[in-house]
Amino acid sequence: MSQPLGEFKHSEALTLGVELELQLVSKRDFDLTRAATDLIDSLKYDERYGEIKLEITESMIEISTLPQSTVDGIASDLAGLRETLRTHCARHNIAVCGGGTHPFHRWPERRICPGERFDNLYQRYGYLAKQFTVFGQHVHVGCTSADDAIWLTQALGVYVPAFIALSAASPFVDGVDTFFQSARLNAVSAFPLSGQCPPLANWAEFVRHFSFLQSCGIASGIKDLYWDVRPKPEFGTVEIRVCDTPLTIEQASSLAALAQSLSRWLLRTRPELHTGLQAHVARYNKFQACRYGMAAMISDPVALCQRPLRESLLELLETLSEDARELGCGHWLKALLPIVNADAGDASWLRARHNLHHNLNDVVRETTERLMAPTSNKSWEHS
Amino acid sequence: MIDRLLSPLRSAWESLLERLIFLPPFPESIDTLALFSLLLVVGLLIGEWLHAHAGWPKVIGYVLAGTVFGPALLGWISIEALAQARPMADAALGLLMMEVGRRLDLSWLVRNPELLRSTLSDIVLSFALIFSFALLLVGLSPAWAAATAAVTMASAPAVVLLTIEESKAQGQVTERIILHTALGSAASFIAFAIVLGIIHAEHSEDWLNALAHPLWVAIGALLIAWGAAQLALLIARLLPKRSLAQVFVLVASALLAVGIARMLAVPVFLTLFLMGILLAVRDKHQTLRYTQLPEGHWLLAIILFVIVGASLPWQDFTWLTGLQALGLLVVRAIAKIGALAWSGGSLPLPKRILVGVGIQPLSATAVFMAYEIASLYPEIGRSALALPLFAAAIMELAGPALCRLALRKSGETETAAATQGGIA
Repeated sequence: MSQPLGEFKHSEALTLGVELELQLVSKRDFDLTRAATDLIDSLKYDERYGEIKLEITESMIEISTLPQSTVDGIASDLAGLRETLRTHCARHNIAVCGGGTHPFHRWPERRICPGERFDNLYQRYGYLAKQFTVFGQHVHVGCTSADDAIWLTQALGVYVPAFIALSAASPFVDGVDTFFQSARLNAVSAFPLSGQCPPLANWAEFVRHFSFLQSCGIASGIKDLYWDVRPKPEFGTVEIRVCDTPLTIEQASSLAALAQSLSRWLLRTRPELHTGLQAHVARYNKFQACRYGMAAMISDPVALCQRPLRESLLELLETLSEDARELGCGHWLKALLPIVNADAGDASWLRARHNLHHNLNDVVRETTERLMAPTSNKSWEHS
Repeated sequence: MIDRLLSPLRSAWESLLERLIFLPPFPESIDTLALFSLLLVVGLLIGEWLHAHAGWPKVIGYVLAGTVFGPALLGWISIEALAQARPMADAALGLLMMEVGRRLDLSWLVRNPELLRSTLSDIVLSFALIFSFALLLVGLSPAWAAATAAVTMASAPAVVLLTIEESKAQGQVTERIILHTALGSAASFIAFAIVLGIIHAEHSEDWLNALAHPLWVAIGALLIAWGAAQLALLIARLLPKRSLAQVFVLVASALLAVGIARMLAVPVFLTLFLMGILLAVRDKHQTLRYTQLPEGHWLLAIILFVIVGASLPWQDFTWLTGLQALGLLVVRAIAKIGALAWSGGSLPLPKRILVGVGIQPLSATAVFMAYEIASLYPEIGRSALALPLFAAAIMELAGPALCRLALRKSGETETAAATQGGIA
């Protein structure tokens, strides 16, 4: 049944919200396990740091922060949610970890969560729903107007490869090294409404486009659009959906800092958009970032050339430093530099641990420890 | 019956013997491998048929096969054949007990102390109620009432594990059934060792056996388990994790422990359970943590339950003992479900009750324990332990069904999860 789009709810400019999809694993062998409904059913938690919710399969759980004006606020909510999960999972003998994919689980063994929405998704998408047991970070950025939200959706589209490469944390699928830095997005791209938001100038055009999709029977609600970046009218935000769930909440906060300072810079400087041209190279650039991470070569459809992503990211971080300072999230943004300079991202960490252990069970065991470690973003240097 | 069928063949064979010099004498007993194969095929066919047509757990079929073809009914599996097949049953039970021991995660009790409360209440209540029932209502002596309680107080690890594997159950009810089964078994083994001493004290004037036998069992099992676990870890450390070679090392070490335990008259189930616990606790480098038993352990499990079914003393059945056994099972069920309903550690009441239902099975370990105790003083033991043996006989059939019912109702089995969500 089609759901009306509704009014765009106005938010405070550049407020943030972060959603993390996390993996629920057995403490016996660190494979994914059926645990989500048990966990939620017995959860006694007053939602002071945000929500803890079910996701499509029983081996996933989603945490989402409250709307916050600063990245520090996001980090604090994420730490609170992590503590809640730590206490609760300990009582159930379950472990939790980040990462975009579980390195060795067998997707046919996954169980769909009870609920009409999940059941409908399973009926509609069949096995894709089970293969959708992948884990992402979504960052919401508040917009004061619907037109701003559509403009920002288009503008952020160009930076999708940057978010992918910085968050990449899914090199293993089905027990093998995929050679990708982020293999998670390959599971998402199987869905018919995944991809990029088409070139749209303003909210009115978006409403027309959406009602066109509804009339054609393609989409019933905004949740059917699995776009990389999409407006979220009921929250009054633009949602960046391409990041893998990082292995630490500190890294998740740094990605939120990038989203906030980039959005501020874009809205402040309003660079000229070439959405029509970008649409031709978007899929290629996304593939490059997924496959090669920082070593990706990104096509520029305006300058008609390719540029190393690492080079343009270093420039971008430099450009955004002033906005980040103004927003009070400079230290969070700075924490991304080692990933760009030294390939010190989560995908590299996972591969390094695999090279050490030659065993993916041990890799997942260490990712559970990494998520729960209070100073986990520093453990890279020591490992 | 078998002899009557074979007699024409025997006569023909013996007449040929004089002319065909290469012929061996007529085989007086079935070859062990042939027996293994027969037990396997018979158990498999009945188990699979009942599973496919009536939806029953396969274990029930295996036990029924043993019961029907065993000494109590058709007699196709003779008492000698049972004795001959005992090493296979010991190996099967040993491997399953080791697996239960490996899965016992004691640190969970530290993280969720309510679980300790519920498991202690299960253990204490089960022993106390069964002991009182056997002493006061059935009229057994204190020593044999204690033996009855020690044998029947815990759930059946092998049945629980196989039912969980068969239904591919995952979730809190499943995990807690395993935990309570393992802890209950540990408690019943301690009670079993103490009861050995009490029985000696009651029936023998020599106090030495009353002290030495429990120590022999407990320390012997611990030493064998420790040695076998150390050996497995030592060799496995040289091999890639989760490799086939590690599986072989694990199985070989377990079979070594089974063999030594049999040689020294130390209970196999206790030794291998301890070995499993030691493997989990002492494996600091996760050497064998992720190495799983091969699918082939189902083969041995079939043999185990066919033998257990054939070992049940249905020929001694009387209506009185049957009623007493039913009474014991009701008391036991009240103890277990009551304990879990009272305290279950962060699980809603309906699911706690399902855990209580899921730990109802009573099977191979109880039967073997009962025979172990009965063999001390066979003239008294066999009749004194008729009660737990009949309780086990009834539960051989009802136990797997109850365990699976609990798993299904909790929504944790694969089929249940595909159709509905289960109770919250």
